[in-house]
Amino acid sequence: MRVLNYLYVIAFTAFISCEKSTDSGAAAANTVGAGGSLSRFTIAGNYLYAVSSHYLYAVDISNPALPKKVSESPLNFDMETIYPYKNRLYVGSRTGLYVYSIDTPDKPVLIGEAKHGRSCDPVVANDTASYSTLKGSSVCGPATSGLYVYDVKNVNNPLLKKTILIDEPIGLGIADSALYVCAAAGGLKVFSIKDAYDPAIRQTLTGANFVDLIPYGDVLICWVAEGIRLYDISNRLQPVFVKQVAN
Amino acid sequence: MSSHLNFLFPCSMFAAKLLLSINAFMPLKKLLLLFSVTLFLFSCYKFGKKPENETWTSTPKVWGYKPVYASSETSAKAIVYSAVPQAVVNAGNIYAFHNYIFQIDPGSGIHVIDNSTPSAASRIGFITVKGCTQMSIKNDKLYTNSYDDLVVLDFSNLANVHEHSRLKGVFPELRYYSPIAQPPVSGWYECPAYDKLVTGWTRDSVYQNCFKN
Repeated sequence: MRVLNYLYVIAFTAFISCEKSTDSGAAAANTVGAGGSLSRFTIAGNYLYAVSSHYLYAVDISNPALPKKVSESPLNFDMETIYPYKNRLYVGSRTGLYVYSIDTPDKPVLIGEAKHGRSCDPVVANDTASYSTLKGSSVCGPATSGLYVYDVKNVNNPLLKKTILIDEPIGLGIADSALYVCAAAGGLKVFSIKDAYDPAIRQTLTGANFVDLIPYGDVLICWVAEGIRLYDISNRLQPVFVKQVAN
Repeated sequence: MSSHLNFLFPCSMFAAKLLLSINAFMPLKKLLLLFSVTLFLFSCYKFGKKPENETWTSTPKVWGYKPVYASSETSAKAIVYSAVPQAVVNAGNIYAFHNYIFQIDPGSGIHVIDNSTPSAASRIGFITVKGCTQMSIKNDKLYTNSYDDLVVLDFSNLANVHEHSRLKGVFPELRYYSPIAQPPVSGWYECPAYDKLVTGWTRDSVYQNCFKN
């Protein structure tokens, strides 16, 4: 009888531990939020990656009560933004697009770069392409303003495939086959990226001064100069205005 | 070397004596080289004046901004949550997590918006995090910076957002290049002391030693 009790306890423990691990596995995928494309902090796995102007930091946050800085890479270019995609970090700087591998998560390694004229440039990416907006200005540099489309299938050598002129592009985001680009007072540009290297403009939403955005499920969250503006993007290429939360 | 000269160049006495003692044995070229090296080493030294006593008397004072320093760095970097929404002063980065939208107000804190029903989205609170510029979230822990510190906030219970842990001084550049380290508008300002923490700016007459475009 005692043996049976033990067996029962062991079986139950095994069941519980299994249950627990699948739970946390499923939860982990949902418990990281989403940042705008102008962010300089991002979390991938158990690491927080942060860029300040001249450094890329990796901080181990497996124990949030005791975060540990594990690497600090000094860089000789002005870092602007960071965007995680799978095992890569896409870093936008004032001199180009830089791709880091985080296969060894505590030590990001620079694996590819595409230089461009000096400008400010956030970046977003998927499996085949990365999209940057370059804003030429007195502060950022003289590059031609627009949307720059790169082929990143060979990540060691991003290839510039197309440039679409936009006056004052800032933040941008991808939801499936839609690409949204903020163009300040010029509105929000909605592109179809069914052909990844040839974005096709579908419409321009106006009525606010668009700075950055986050596609979050079926909601497109926009930071506009006037506040936070929300759109329903159940139909990705046809955003429907929902609400503006004033500043 | 006369004693008068030695008084003016007290630190060069050794070099001068060295020069005098060896000039009989050295060719002119080597001597010139040694002399010019000595001159070079002293070229940036301002004799008879300590650098910290320098004042910029050559340019007149102008109306500008003077930094306000934290009396205690710990209290200046303290985290406070208020369920009273605040007006946006400077809009900064946005972040989405479950039913919440966050927006950084660079230098002062984080606005919290309830987005559980987008058509009724509204501001519900504000987390005071002085010197913050960035944030990210994982598992009910919010990672942000207060100046150069990485601060981890627990917001599993929104009514009780509090500091969970802190990694001090991990991002040195975010201390001096944070928006609060410069005055709010363009013009002349007093350069902040690097060993102090700027919490704000006040109008005052200042020397023309730092300028914001």
